[in-house]
Amino acid sequence: MHIPNAVLDPKVALATGVLGAAGLAYSLRMVEKRLGERTTVLMGTMAAFVFAAQMVNFPLGPLAISGHLLGGVLAAVMLGPWAGAVVIAAVLIVQCLLFGDGGLTALGANFLNMGLIGAAGGYAIYAPIRRAIGGRGGVIVGGMAAAWFSVLLASGAFSVELAASGHRRDFVRILSWMTLVHAAIGLGEAVITGLVLRFILLTRPDLVYQADASAAAEPAEAPTRLAAWFQVAVAGLGVALAVATFLAPFASEHPDGLEFVVGEKLGLLKDEAPATLPVPIPEYELKLFGPDAVGAATAAAGIVGTLVVFVVAALLARVVSRTGRDEPAPTAPGGISAHAA
Amino acid sequence: MRLDALERYADLDAPLQRLDARLKLVVAVVYVVAVVATPVGWWGTLAAEGLLMAFLVGLSGVPPRELAVRWLGFLVLFGFLTMMVAPARPERAGHGLAVVALTLLAKDTLAFLATVLLVQVTPFRTLLAAMRRLGVPAVLVSTLQFMYRYLFVLTEELDRMVTARRARTFRRSGRLDWGLLTGLVGVLFLRAFERGERVHAAMLARGWDGTVRTLD
Repeated sequence: MHIPNAVLDPKVALATGVLGAAGLAYSLRMVEKRLGERTTVLMGTMAAFVFAAQMVNFPLGPLAISGHLLGGVLAAVMLGPWAGAVVIAAVLIVQCLLFGDGGLTALGANFLNMGLIGAAGGYAIYAPIRRAIGGRGGVIVGGMAAAWFSVLLASGAFSVELAASGHRRDFVRILSWMTLVHAAIGLGEAVITGLVLRFILLTRPDLVYQADASAAAEPAEAPTRLAAWFQVAVAGLGVALAVATFLAPFASEHPDGLEFVVGEKLGLLKDEAPATLPVPIPEYELKLFGPDAVGAATAAAGIVGTLVVFVVAALLARVVSRTGRDEPAPTAPGGISAHAA
Repeated sequence: MRLDALERYADLDAPLQRLDARLKLVVAVVYVVAVVATPVGWWGTLAAEGLLMAFLVGLSGVPPRELAVRWLGFLVLFGFLTMMVAPARPERAGHGLAVVALTLLAKDTLAFLATVLLVQVTPFRTLLAAMRRLGVPAVLVSTLQFMYRYLFVLTEELDRMVTARRARTFRRSGRLDWGLLTGLVGVLFLRAFERGERVHAAMLARGWDGTVRTLD
């Protein structure tokens, strides 16, 4: 979802722009440190890959629509968190300038959602799961879970930005809609990411990014305490959003109560309150099934989605690790099976 | 999608094409920011911005029809997001929902036209060089240069792979053949990665030290 120009309030656009620029500068520095003069060549071809891969349309069965890979988590799993973020930044800039897809003033917000949260944040979810499970199965389960949560997290960030551009009390309504839609999109993203990772693991497992490969040569760079805390923080945020997704519907049944509390106790919404009085109905025009049904559907989508992602991930992981056992272990330095040991 | 249609008018001998790319880039960014920052209800300003855009399109030699077709492609997205945000905007109290929604749509349209027109009158390689000279980090710019270089190579490679797959599989279209499609994406990844490694090795052999040197 590329945010166009006028959707965000100028103040929100400015704030996300500054955040996005700072995040991009940091990512670029981290990538340069790791890759050196290889940086631009590899990042360039990988960005071109993500761009081309987004053109492959996946038919959605009987529906007349189709989805495509977003690629943030895939890039992060293959190249590492910061390189993944840089790749997404390059893709977003080209899509914005060449195709007008995504606003120039919303580039910061788009990069924040899809690059920093989608790719680097997705990696923070992937890495602990991969370490915990280990081996090829760990890569697939971690990658799929990260793909699912990164789409949800990105849509959550998008909701925050949208809500900050308008009334804050709309946050719950926007969040439940966005997460409902993105629960489905994330499911597709998780399945595609898992299948592509499976393919790569079966053909060139040595290409998967090894955080520890450089740590072995350079012990000082072993997972620092800061990085560990960052991973825990993002994983926690992901879980929090998942919980919020399930709880949002129950909160949105009483939007007036929430608004009353925020408006009266904190005095945040006092100046905006009169706007709600004259036309309360258009707020609900979009709710085709009424507020309660949307809430229930959101919660159901969240639960079902999480379950499906983990079941499919476990199945895929089993298939790969069985195939992996029959083959001779990859001899490439830093291969997956060596890492699992 | 035909990617080679992107820069069809960039090499025309027209007034906008002759301008310095840095000037065009700065003007486009300032214009987009000005459009986005225009408050609801400032009709005079919005109309002036619209007239300026119409004038620039006329000057550029890009057929308005072509811009309109590309704009139509985004209309659904613009409309959907506008209807999602417009009811929540505080300006609604003074102007009504329809006015707010139409203003947002107009701003999106003008900003979209500005970015698309910028690339239509400036070759992308020139635009990237201008970005570099305006102080955008060199690593980002050369990443974009390499990306632009291999964008067309990879999309054509994808085209060839899709053709080859079609020639070898007899399937009804619309079936859920995700296994085949993810294989396609996986092969594309491997080819892109290996191409990157090959290109890097070839560049090292020619003295590559990480800085891009151009003649202009």
